Amino acid sequence: MNDSKNPLSPHLQIYRWQVSSLVSITHRITGILNLLGLIFICIWISSAGISQNLFEFYSIFLKSFVGKFILIGFTWSMSYHLLSGVRHFFWDLGYGYEIKTANLSGIIVILGSFVLTIIFWMIGRGLI
Amino acid sequence: MKASRKWIFQRFSALIAAPIIIWFLISLISLSTGDYNAVVNFFSKPLFSFLTIILLITGFFHAKIGLGEIFEDYIQDEKIKNFSNLLTLLLSIIIPSITIILLLYKF
Repeated sequence: MNDSKNPLSPHLQIYRWQVSSLVSITHRITGILNLLGLIFICIWISSAGISQNLFEFYSIFLKSFVGKFILIGFTWSMSYHLLSGVRHFFWDLGYGYEIKTANLSGIIVILGSFVLTIIFWMIGRGLI
Repeated sequence: MKASRKWIFQRFSALIAAPIIIWFLISLISLSTGDYNAVVNFFSKPLFSFLTIILLITGFFHAKIGLGEIFEDYIQDEKIKNFSNLLTLLLSIIIPSITIILLLYKF
């Protein structure tokens, strides 16, 4: 297939917002956020590998309000992308194409991402 | 890369990365309150180090293909698109490689 002759997708500004488009664009945005999160993780691991001082310096940032906000945001972003990814797998297997089902699964992804974030934090902090 | 091959690789990398990222996220949340020694101990375990390396490889690979799809949809200029793809490719190789080398030799 010759990629260069593909037409561009219609840009976001001309869409009427619906559950389907909201879930779809958020899948892409969280994908980008997850990449930033992976880079953060690489810096975190690398700093511990390079020296204790560097790690402690980075740790102070991670334990700050901004650091916690980023970590919670990253957990949500990953939770969302995971659930939305499962939805994509169902489509790949041929299920869930009806408009009603697709809207319902979209809403489940949005709400579920917050529930999953809370579950990850409760397990991580030893509350479950 | 052919579009059909990208499609398969994207799903394959997701299937490998998904269970590992769940484990890693929980560990990360747990370690974020811990100190330097806790983190070093964690990555000194061969299994944990191995899982992290697999996660970084599949994760960055998945991100490279995914970003390429976004560029395909929203960047019209061929030159800018090619440059963006090249830059993403280089970063998605260099960043995890440095981390993996450190994981293998420094923990």
